[in-house]
This record gives sequence, structure tokens and C-alpha cells, in this order.
Amino acid sequence: MVGALYAAEDTPPDVLLEVAREFSPRLEVCGPREIVLDLAGLARLFGNAHTIAAELRRTAADRELRVRVAIAGTRTAARVLVHHYAGITVVDPGEEAAALSPLPLALLAAASSAPNSQFPTPDGLLTTLRQWGLRTLGEFAALPPDEVAARLGQEGVVWQRLASGEDPRPLLPAVPEERFEQTFDLEWPIDGLEPLSFVLGRLMEPLSEHLERRDRGAAVLHVRLHLVKTDGVTPTVHERSLQLPTPIRDARTLRTLALLDLESHPPSAAIDRVVVAVDPTPGRVIQFSLLTRPLPSPEQVSTLLARLAALMGEGRCGSPVAVDSWQPGAFGMKPFAPRDSNVLHPPWPVEAEVVANPAIALRRFRFPVPARVRVDAGKPARVTTDRPGLGGGRVEACGGPWRTSGGWWSSSDDDLRVSASPRPVGVTGVPWDRDEWDVTLNDGATYRVFRERDADHWLVEGIVD
Amino acid sequence: MPRPAVAILEAALRARKLDRTLTTALPSLERTDPSALVSTGVAALDACLRGGVPRGQLSEIAGPRSSGRMTLLLQLIAAAARRGEIAALVDTFDRFDVASACAAGVDLDRLLWIRGQAITRPQGSGLRPQGGHGPASLLERTVDRALKALNLVLQAGGFGVVAIDLADVPLVALKVIPFITWLRVQRTVEGSDTACVLVVPEPLARSAGGVTLTLGAAPQWAGSSDRSRRLAGLDLTTRVVSPRRRVQGEVVIKAQSSRLKAQDSTIGPWALSLVP
Repeated sequence: MVGALYAAEDTPPDVLLEVAREFSPRLEVCGPREIVLDLAGLARLFGNAHTIAAELRRTAADRELRVRVAIAGTRTAARVLVHHYAGITVVDPGEEAAALSPLPLALLAAASSAPNSQFPTPDGLLTTLRQWGLRTLGEFAALPPDEVAARLGQEGVVWQRLASGEDPRPLLPAVPEERFEQTFDLEWPIDGLEPLSFVLGRLMEPLSEHLERRDRGAAVLHVRLHLVKTDGVTPTVHERSLQLPTPIRDARTLRTLALLDLESHPPSAAIDRVVVAVDPTPGRVIQFSLLTRPLPSPEQVSTLLARLAALMGEGRCGSPVAVDSWQPGAFGMKPFAPRDSNVLHPPWPVEAEVVANPAIALRRFRFPVPARVRVDAGKPARVTTDRPGLGGGRVEACGGPWRTSGGWWSSSDDDLRVSASPRPVGVTGVPWDRDEWDVTLNDGATYRVFRERDADHWLVEGIVD
Repeated sequence: MPRPAVAILEAALRARKLDRTLTTALPSLERTDPSALVSTGVAALDACLRGGVPRGQLSEIAGPRSSGRMTLLLQLIAAAARRGEIAALVDTFDRFDVASACAAGVDLDRLLWIRGQAITRPQGSGLRPQGGHGPASLLERTVDRALKALNLVLQAGGFGVVAIDLADVPLVALKVIPFITWLRVQRTVEGSDTACVLVVPEPLARSAGGVTLTLGAAPQWAGSSDRSRRLAGLDLTTRVVSPRRRVQGEVVIKAQSSRLKAQDSTIGPWALSLVP
């Protein structure tokens, strides 16, 4: 047994929804003024269908709402009836086709109007049916289905079933939007992260269970700390939001991430209320491989990165990125998120797994070290620095100069000014113009030194290692 | 205790080999399973090491400045990425060069780079005076943070290779790190699939289960005249020491300059020019 509620005038949608929810949790919103609800089993509580319909109208009237009510065996019949008849309409199960038979064809549009309807508006169909001389739903339903299919296609048959009150699909209950939030009011304000960790743990566990029940994970974690009023008047809220790289619902991981973030951004006063909320997202489906070593789970990686960021500082942990620049030492950083490998199709040929002659590497000074270089016959003859531990000495062999320049086209006049202090490498967009030399000193080490041509400074860029 | 009882107890101990560590030499850790070893990415060195660097052990790459430590480490990381594993590098003084890593074939997406602090002006050795209880120096704090980061990465697990670059830390500062630190690292990594590698100026941890690669290098120059002379590469002499694993030997690896490689191959162009 299905009931349809139709508000006679424009009303706030929540009011009609509240009325419907008082009778059944299984309901489908068909528009701003129309709701269909499953009334199965309510007869034992209220009595027959007429009593239920009357009770529905009375409940709506209590909220100053005038509604039409139709109860029938099918959803389609109830919807068509509620659009046509005012007041209460009750049709016994099995009598839907007879009840709809005298109604005008235009009501087919009412049966198809829903937010998730799979049928288009039947304007063209109605015109065709009227040209055939049909006026009522009963006349359309009485046509032979095979003839309808031959002339209107399969869609015409579906409309014919609607005209006889049959449902094209079962009722799709609207699931109320769930809030994944936990709150804890403290009797005494707490100060410091250690006591807060216990509170967070107590909040995260039910939140994690709730997420697990609904097969959801947290996409964003919100922590709201209501602080004590420092001036006695103004309440303060310390709010942090953590974008999680992957859906997470493990309580310990969520608590650790929240605490690590609060270590970096501590609240300014004692806390008297803690609210934890998450933005839910569907859970992950993981397929492990028998052929490759498993990578750490996203939860482990997130926790590790948060711990490392708290220890080393923001932006100092991640994957290096080679940037599209000729600038020496230019690089970028991005979050560490290793992709799954595919052993069957590795990114490199298998035979390239070992090499005979590896490429030599440079150990680069992020801030080049100022050096004093004595030049004889156009070549460096002696290199010395003031850096303790970084020796200097006579040049045994050298190669160069390798001249490079760039960045002058995209910089302002301020950037072009000659700077006395060494500029950090790795920052793109900074102009450079220099001559590079590879030099082996008498201490046995090989360095890369360069002369800034605009300032005539010598600097040590790195050590060949 | 009566003598017969002592004899019975000794016999029982011998039967269960409970006194083995006291009466016999340590058992060899030689393992035939290739998955227990991490390829270094260099064929000759792998052959000498009978497969590579052991997993679950603390190994060292030691050598003076310009001895090819970073070259070898990048090969190790590149080989790990090629196997589909991920690697982590704790870069104590932020000396990692991304271009060198690209030239070595490192898949940068599979490398976690933990950048320490680039110290621009270290004062003296950077250590507190003997017996001093003042605040730790910048150098001490930087090294301490790097070791903590190493510990965090090892505890997280899942990495094929985890390396810490302590090559530029003054030897006097490395010597004051308590030896128990390396034992703790060894205990953390033990039993895992991670090969932990220290890059140091001198052998430091001397882990029994790991290998120590002691490097020395001679630069090779190409070009007959002053104007055409350029760095061709490094001849790395790698001495392998690992008494417990019974691998020992010396390998010479010819590392090639990336500039020469760029000239030999068609990748590029490089925005470099030799000024006459």
C-alpha cells in the first residue's frame, strides 16, 4: 500500500517531509510539493486506509498545511490520483486500472514528473494520442500492447503500463543525510595536547564505527575546539580542517593526524568543548597483488608525512620534481604519493635493471659557498673558502668554462640587481649568468665552481660525489 | 649443585645448542634467497656482494669527499624504484641534487625526500664544549632531527631502501653520536624488508649483518688540450667488507659524467657551451 501526499499550496519542503516521516521512514520525494510513502504495515497501527489518510491530513493540518492524500496499491496510481482529486482518495489494491480509467490523459505527465524520473515529458506522446482520438487513461490502457509497441516503440508500452497504474520501478526511499560528528563538553577546561588526545580518542572511536557501518571513509577531518573566553565575553573557536589524501576511518590514524596538526597549530587558550566532524566519502576498494611488494597503506603514509612535517617543517618532505628549466639546481616538490607498480609492464626495460657505468652525482650546496679563486692564464689555479671543513687548495685539473645564462627575460629590475650574498639554488625564475668549472684540488676532491659574470663572484656549487 | 646434575644440565644445553653463542663463532648470515637482498644497480658490485645489500640490516657507504658515495646511493635508489619499491632519503644538510637523480634513472615519484636544514655558516665543529650543558648547537639539532626522521621512516615500514646522508657531517660530530643509536636503528630495521643505508665519511655503525662499502675514487679527465679538457668521470674503487656474510673484495666501477653522457646520447639539448 502506497500513499501520496500533495501540498495544496507552496510550503517549505521540510514541513511536508516531517509529516511524511511521522508515518513512514520509507518515502520518496517526487517534487517540492509531492511525497510518496510506503504505508505497508500501518493498518495494524491506525486501522484501514481511510483512517490512515485521515490521520495524515490531520497531522498536516496541525502544521497548518493543507494536503491531498491518495492511497492505492501502486505508486503510479497514488500519484495520478493525488494530482486529480482533492481531499482523500483511497483505491483498493487491484482496482488501480479501473480507478484511473476515467481520468484525462494529461495526468500521465504527473506520473512521470520526479527528480530522478527516467522518462521524458510526454508532450509529443500526448499529442499523438489525442490525434488518435484518445481522451482518457482507460482508452489508452485498453489498446493492444503489440500495436502500441509497433507504432510508439518500447517507450509507448511503458507509458501504457503507467496509464493502467503499474509501477515501472520500485520505490526508492530517500536516505536522510547523515552527520558524522561527535561532540564532547568538558566539565573543566583542559590545557595541552596530552589530555586532549584522550578526548579525541574517545570521540574518534564512535565516529570510526559510524563510518564503518555506513561503509564510508573520512575525506576531510574537521576539529573545532571551543576555547574558554579569555576576556570573559567573546567565545573563541579554534578550527582546523585536514584534507586527507585518501578515505580513512581508522580511529587511531585520525586521532594521530589531528594531534600532529594541533602540535603545529596549537589553540591559544584552554579548551572547554571539542567537536570532531568528518566529510564522508565512499570507502576504498583495494586489490592487492601477489607479484609486487605491498606499498605502505595510505593511512601509514599520511601519518608518516604528518609526523615528518611536524619534525622537519612544512614543505620539507615529499617527492622531488624535475622542473622544466635550464636553471642549475632547479627543482620542485610535491606530496609523496607513490603509485602502484606493475611488474608485468615495468616503466623501464628489464635488462636496464643494472648498469655498468653509472652517472656521477653532484652533492649540491643549496646556498652556494662563496670562494676565493686565483686565476692563472684564464683558468682557476687555486680555490679557497672560509667554510670550515670545506678545504681548498691548488687546482690539479680543471675543465671549463661552461657558460649558462637565463631567467633574465622574466625578472624585474630588482631581481637583476647584483647581489652580494649567494642566492639559494632551486628557486626558479631567478636570473643567472655564469661560467662553470669542474676542478680537482690537491685534496683529491672534485668540485663544481662557478663565476657569476655580472658580479664577478666565485662560488662553490657542489661536490662531485 | 651436585656434579651429576651439572653434567645433565650441560648435556641438555649442548643438545639444544643453547650455549652456541658462547662456545662457537656466530652463524653465517649467508642467505640464498635473492629476495633477501637489494640490488645496488651496479652489475659488478652486485656480483661481488652475491646479489646486493641485505634487507633487514644496517649497511654503510663510507668514503671521503668525491669518492662516489652519492653516485652509488642514487644507483641503489634507482634500482629499488625499478623493482616497484619505494625509497626514502633523509638528506641531513639538503644536498640532494634532483638533476643527478634524474641522470641516474631514479623514479622521483617513488622517492620520499626528507630535507634537512642547509647550514650556511657552521661555527667550528658546531658542537658544545666538552662537558657543556648549554643549548644544542644548530649542527647537533640538525643531525638529531635527521636521526629522528630516519627512525620514523623505519618504524613506518614498507620502504625498500631507506638511506640517511651523513656524509657532510664533521667526523667529530659523528663520533659523539652514542653507539647505541646505531644498535637501535639495527633493531628497528631487523626482520623487515627494508635495507637501511648510512652514507658516512668513515665506517661508523659496523653492523655485523650488513655490508660496509668503503669507497675511494680517482677523477678521470678527457681531452688532450687545456681547452678541450673536461671531467669524464670517476673511477670508484669499492672495497666490500662484511665478515659475517663472508663477502669481501674490491670492485672498480667507472662512473661517467652526465655531461659526457648527454653528449654521447641524443637527449638534450643542454644549454651549455664551451667558451673558447
